[in-house]
Amino acid sequence: MSQLANYIAQKRQQKPILSMTHVVYGYPTVQESLSWMTRLLEEGVDFIEVQFPFSDPVADGPSIVEACHVALEQDLDVDSFLNDMGKLSRDFPDSRIVLMSYLNPMYRYGLQKLAKRAAEINILGLILPDLPIEASANYIAACKENQVDPIWLVTPVTPKARLEMLASQASGFLYCVARSGVTGHSSHEAKSKQTAMDEYLAHIKAHASAPMGVGFGLRERSHIEALLGKADIAILGSALLDAYNQGGQEAGIKLIKDLFQN
Amino acid sequence: MQSNNGFYGEFGGSYIPEILYASQQQILHAFEEIKTDPEFIAELKETWQNYSGRPTPLTFCKNLTEHFGGAQIYLKREDLNQSGAHKMNNVIGQALLVKRMGKKRVIAETGAGQHGVATALIAARLGLECTIYMGAKDVKRQYPNVFWMKQLGATVVPVAEGSQTLRDALDEALRDWSSSHEDSHYLIGTTCGCAPFPEMVAFFQSVIGEEVKEQSKAQFGQYPDRLYACVGGGSNACGLFLPFLEEENVEMIGVEAGGKGLELGQHSIRLSNGLGEKGIAQGFATMFLQDKSGQLQDTHSIAAGLDYVGVSPIIAHLAQIGRIQMTYAMDDEVIDACSLLLKKEGIIPALESSHALAGAFKDAANLPKESRIVINLSGRGDKDIFNVAKAMNDQTFPEFLEDYLADYKEHLNNDEEA
Ligand SMILES: Cc1ncc(COP(=O)(O)O)c(C=O)c1O
Repeated sequence: MSQLANYIAQKRQQKPILSMTHVVYGYPTVQESLSWMTRLLEEGVDFIEVQFPFSDPVADGPSIVEACHVALEQDLDVDSFLNDMGKLSRDFPDSRIVLMSYLNPMYRYGLQKLAKRAAEINILGLILPDLPIEASANYIAACKENQVDPIWLVTPVTPKARLEMLASQASGFLYCVARSGVTGHSSHEAKSKQTAMDEYLAHIKAHASAPMGVGFGLRERSHIEALLGKADIAILGSALLDAYNQGGQEAGIKLIKDLFQN
Repeated sequence: MQSNNGFYGEFGGSYIPEILYASQQQILHAFEEIKTDPEFIAELKETWQNYSGRPTPLTFCKNLTEHFGGAQIYLKREDLNQSGAHKMNNVIGQALLVKRMGKKRVIAETGAGQHGVATALIAARLGLECTIYMGAKDVKRQYPNVFWMKQLGATVVPVAEGSQTLRDALDEALRDWSSSHEDSHYLIGTTCGCAPFPEMVAFFQSVIGEEVKEQSKAQFGQYPDRLYACVGGGSNACGLFLPFLEEENVEMIGVEAGGKGLELGQHSIRLSNGLGEKGIAQGFATMFLQDKSGQLQDTHSIAAGLDYVGVSPIIAHLAQIGRIQMTYAMDDEVIDACSLLLKKEGIIPALESSHALAGAFKDAANLPKESRIVINLSGRGDKDIFNVAKAMNDQTFPEFLEDYLADYKEHLNNDEEA
């Protein structure tokens, strides 16, 4: 079993659903983002999903786009980023860090090198939303070799056969996008169709042996409660960033407690 | 040009968020169908002809030819299309495809506003809802086009993110499509983006080169020796070049925007001087202007339509294998070329197209007298009136603007009182 899936299975024995909180590296500054990550880990979140910013984040909505652009006003490089993550992962061995970025910065860094470095610093999952599985042969091989998991996404409009293929290929966990569109609130929201969540998740579960994480649009306790028994991880992204923007770390932590504490 | 599963050499492909997979596949299949469907092709040709005015002429430029004393210079007159640019060829094709797929809404990105206007025109004609994304900076630079898009019934959304230009508009169009894919089509304006967009746009634009083949045979009994086109996203260049790809004696020259200089941020040169580097963004692999950590960078050109950070994977590939020669023209050379065409031939070129002119004018005098070159005049220059006036330091234009503004305000005040 993959190390990541193992970790999730063990943690799930104590908790009905695990928390994954998203943070943009370098927002508003590198130091402040590291302090925020530290705080989240101190509070005992199960995962942090750390996004290395890219200038053109096409799968993200306004909150995360803005954060990435602010972060990029500094010179960010992947090596220092990974060093910073390595330190966090040593300091907080009870939680896990998952890395998210768009393809180009990681492609420039080298996907082979990325997988190797990730393994060295105990980052067990990589999310690259604009790298489709069809174009991933080398990346998958590099991940296998280093025992880190490439995390694939499925969506409510992923065709049935493809969804089953992705579910069966999934290792670590499968990232189940909850609705059409980009992350967070955006002007595009009204155009997307509603998803019948229960059916969608049940269908995935029937085909996936890996644990399931659900993200996109989770903002309220009821959203998390609706996932109990149907998914393993609830991923909190833009809602957390919005709370952080409004009331700093305290507001962010309050949101997490409101959503996850029983 | 047929791709290899969406790839041209090492460029192209489809690197899109999973949410867009189904819509991308739908376009892929619809495009495969229409390519060889006689009914679709007949409707396409009919619309090109009776709505856009095709075929466009191939115009011999006697005065320019004498002026340089070298090659005989011909212009392919894409400026005479409905909307004033070659962009129309593509939007007609894709809009007919939208009808066939049964979608009701189109989304497009635009830089100069030429593709935005072309999309708004065809959307009005075919009864499609239309949303145009345009960088906030470009909205300011190209307001007349914004005005027309709105009058045509389109919703124009200024994009205030990032560099506020074409590349941000493209990102935002992709985001809209991620939400709206079930009833909206992303009508991309150039030979970029995920497969099959580069191939499809090139297919619709190839009418340019196909016509030049016929017209050159008819006018001088053989194919031209050299072809010139400006390269922004690459669609007018693909349109002129690709039908000649197998003709080994036909040389092809693509002209990029040199802008104000070769420092990063001052130009849009992706394929010369080692300035661009391979990357994967906005759905495809190509040569991008980026920094060492893979962040896309700001670009500049006096021609908003060439002010783009990436380039067609088809052009990137053909340049890499040496089938196309790439060069560039600086902002000031472009204004001189524009000016020369005005004075010698009585034609007002778009600033984008003036790059192709500038590139060709540099070579013309040194080419044999019996050789013939065809320059793609991709668009007309009416839209550039403000920018050209400024670049030419016209002294009377500000006075006109001030008077016009005073009069405009008075008119609005009178209207309010009445
Ligand atoms: C007149 C004209 N020519 C050329 C271009 C550049 O685009 P492409 O390289 O796709 O032909 C534009 C783009 O807006 C344009 O308006």
